[in-house]
Amino acid sequence: MKKIKEINEYGQNISVRNANLWYGDFQALKNISVEIPEKQVTAFIGPSGCGKSTFLKCFNRMNDLVDGCKIEGEFYVGETDIYGKIDVNELRKNVGMVFQKPNPFPMSVYDNIAYGPRTFGITKHADLDEIVEKSLRQAAMWDELKDRLNKSALGLSGGQQQRLCIARSLAANPKILLMDEPTSALDPISTGKIEELMEELKKDLTIVIVTHNMQQATRIADKTAFFLLGELVEYGSTDDIFTSPKDERTERYITGRFG
Amino acid sequence: MNTTKIKEKTGQTIFTVAAVICVIAVAAIFVFMLIKSIPALNKIGLFDFIFGDNWSPDRLDKYENATLSGSYGILKMIIGTLAATVGALLIGGTLGYFTAVFIAFYCPKKLKKIFSSMVNLLAGIPSVVYGFFGIVFLLPLLANFAPNNGSGLLATSLILGIMIMPTVVSLSKTSLEAVPRSYYEGALALGSTHSQAVFGTVTKAAKSGVTASLVLGIGRALGETMAVVMVAGNSVAYPDSLFNSFRVLTANIVMEMGYAGEVQQGALVATGVILLVFVLIVNLVFGAISKKAIKGAVEGKGLFSKIFKRNEKTKKTTFWTKCKDKIAGFKDKIKTANIGAGAAIGAGVFAGTILLLVIGFIFVKGAPHLFTNPHLLFGKYEFDSEQITILPSIITTLMTVALSLLISVPIGLCTAIFLNEYAKKNNFFIKIIRGAIDLLNGVPSIVYGLFGMITFVALIGGTSSILAGTLTISIMLLPTIVRSTEESLKSVQDSLREGSLALGAGKMRTIFKIVLPSALPGIMSAIILSMGRVIAESAPFIYTMGSVISATPTSYLDSNATLAVALYRLSGEGWYVNEAYATAVVLIILVLGLNLLAELIAGKLNKKLQGDK
Repeated sequence: MKKIKEINEYGQNISVRNANLWYGDFQALKNISVEIPEKQVTAFIGPSGCGKSTFLKCFNRMNDLVDGCKIEGEFYVGETDIYGKIDVNELRKNVGMVFQKPNPFPMSVYDNIAYGPRTFGITKHADLDEIVEKSLRQAAMWDELKDRLNKSALGLSGGQQQRLCIARSLAANPKILLMDEPTSALDPISTGKIEELMEELKKDLTIVIVTHNMQQATRIADKTAFFLLGELVEYGSTDDIFTSPKDERTERYITGRFG
Repeated sequence: MNTTKIKEKTGQTIFTVAAVICVIAVAAIFVFMLIKSIPALNKIGLFDFIFGDNWSPDRLDKYENATLSGSYGILKMIIGTLAATVGALLIGGTLGYFTAVFIAFYCPKKLKKIFSSMVNLLAGIPSVVYGFFGIVFLLPLLANFAPNNGSGLLATSLILGIMIMPTVVSLSKTSLEAVPRSYYEGALALGSTHSQAVFGTVTKAAKSGVTASLVLGIGRALGETMAVVMVAGNSVAYPDSLFNSFRVLTANIVMEMGYAGEVQQGALVATGVILLVFVLIVNLVFGAISKKAIKGAVEGKGLFSKIFKRNEKTKKTTFWTKCKDKIAGFKDKIKTANIGAGAAIGAGVFAGTILLLVIGFIFVKGAPHLFTNPHLLFGKYEFDSEQITILPSIITTLMTVALSLLISVPIGLCTAIFLNEYAKKNNFFIKIIRGAIDLLNGVPSIVYGLFGMITFVALIGGTSSILAGTLTISIMLLPTIVRSTEESLKSVQDSLREGSLALGAGKMRTIFKIVLPSALPGIMSAIILSMGRVIAESAPFIYTMGSVISATPTSYLDSNATLAVALYRLSGEGWYVNEAYATAVVLIILVLGLNLLAELIAGKLNKKLQGDK
């Protein structure tokens, strides 16, 4: 299979030092430093508006789209300063993202998955066929979808659409996968399938997931970070965070006293 | 720099250039109109021009002459325009408002769609066809009890009223339907009947939206040209009775531009400027209201309610308050007696009847001639023949449609993409572009015609040509294409854009592969409706493209009449009534066919985008 051409080799770990972020006058992130290890699942938890999604979107620079957003601090993916002189599109190819609501494009299943590879210049049918099959197999959807590759992706169920979006991200051959509450709009069965999938994917990929669901974090995450009002309150192995939190605020949150 | 980056830069440059072209077009219209009219206004005197009530131009008047031998006062025409607008507003406003209430609240669900598209069809009928209908149906009818042939203020108000009705209906309907359902339910829970709830709460909450729709209707009525020219009579006189031949500002331009002398031409362009000022004022008022309309509809605020409130405070014990009490008392009766409901249903039925009447009457009279006289459609033009053929006009029309879309669709699309995908909110440059588009949208079609005559015609050898007419109409199409494309781009969810960008696609790829395909239904129907518009318009063509049917054009530099202009000519001459009927039939079929096609395509594509399960 023809590999997508790499100009810049991205590593698989993320390290952030002294990150601050403002939306206009409002400071959404306050002095955050964090090291996210490679090929593990890291979960960001915290109440709504605590800045966890905002922080996640710094890693593929989706915050660039927001008017009046100002970012300070050091963001490294592997050895690369992602706010330095880089090609943003290439960064996003290497750091994939799955959104809260499934967002399949209004085109066929096949074209959805081939969108990323085509963006980076793969046009041969044989190559594309191979990538589509591989990505769908990775997302455990090949058997479900192999007979309807040419049907519109909008005809799929919500859970299928979300897994298709994961397969679409995988097709771009990313090093890191960011997931922004990927199961919050789905039923328990679809959620289970996606969690199994993440277990499988972390063999090759670093996964960072934002979740509202603390059980989900305990089920899937190796490390967990707790955010509150734009601050990173506590960060450590998931076991430590949920069994012996060091900060009182973390304890109150995970025991359900606010949220 | 890699190729993606070059592509991105080129794209952004092209989109920006398109937006700048729109601004230049607006600026050009205003600058050229002013340049042409200022010498005339200097010579005549602004005061004498606006408040003089004697219009008797002398073709020999020149700027270098020491004194003018003609008089150039347009007061009669100003009064004429205002009177016709008020008349149209009384008829079309009332009819439109109640029709909107009917469609929103009284129409059976199954018929709702039919009535809505019927109103759209009424909006699509060319103004020359309305004028022709006035000549062959309304004027003979009125002549039965009129002292003259029926032309005058009443006929004009009726025709104009019908023409502005669709505008009033569609905007009123939107604001009526935007009122929260809880208002209606709240009224029902207090024991109101359906009609009491509708007229007691919902229509009140939608007040400023309805007002905005009436203001928009005023704008349409002020700028309308051809239909008015065909039924007003056009003598330079005050409209002092219902059946007195009178003249409006737009008619003044159309009647005399063709053979005007130097000062006279300047005065006519100045007439256009005055018209433009009127329309600008109306647009400003509309902009102010419509911004607050939907919000104000819910909160009961809005510009007009403020004005009304101020009146209440200052004139407490006057005659006006008494009238208001009377009206309020009457309104109470309306509620209880359900007269409102009756009016709504009546208006709805009436609107339907009008559409059927206009189309039916012209079809019954005209269709047979299409079949019995093949020469009309397929004949060869001969200079000395008595037999009319409209084949050259059909070809001219097609040529115009093709080239004008080629010009205005790319510019319009790119401008819309720039506004929706690249523009940061509240940037000064963006405000100018938006303002320019809004201005273009309000400019009356005859003013476009004037502009085309003093610029494009002058540029292309001084004689009218299909090219000059096409360039003129291309500018006129821009605002519609920009606005409706922008609307469809807006309706594409941001999550799709984010999804594409998150996969590493650049902005250009996101726009062309994701955003534009999703917005396609809206864009397609805008393009088709623009085709209809080119076919329907006549005022911009008469002095830019020519108004005489001649031999089939062989190049864009030939001069000829489009179908709509041909209908105006044929119906005015009085010799060729049958041919005129047949031309009107062809026009109606083309325009209504395109309207239906637009709805169909939008629906089909939308379904496809929703996914085939």
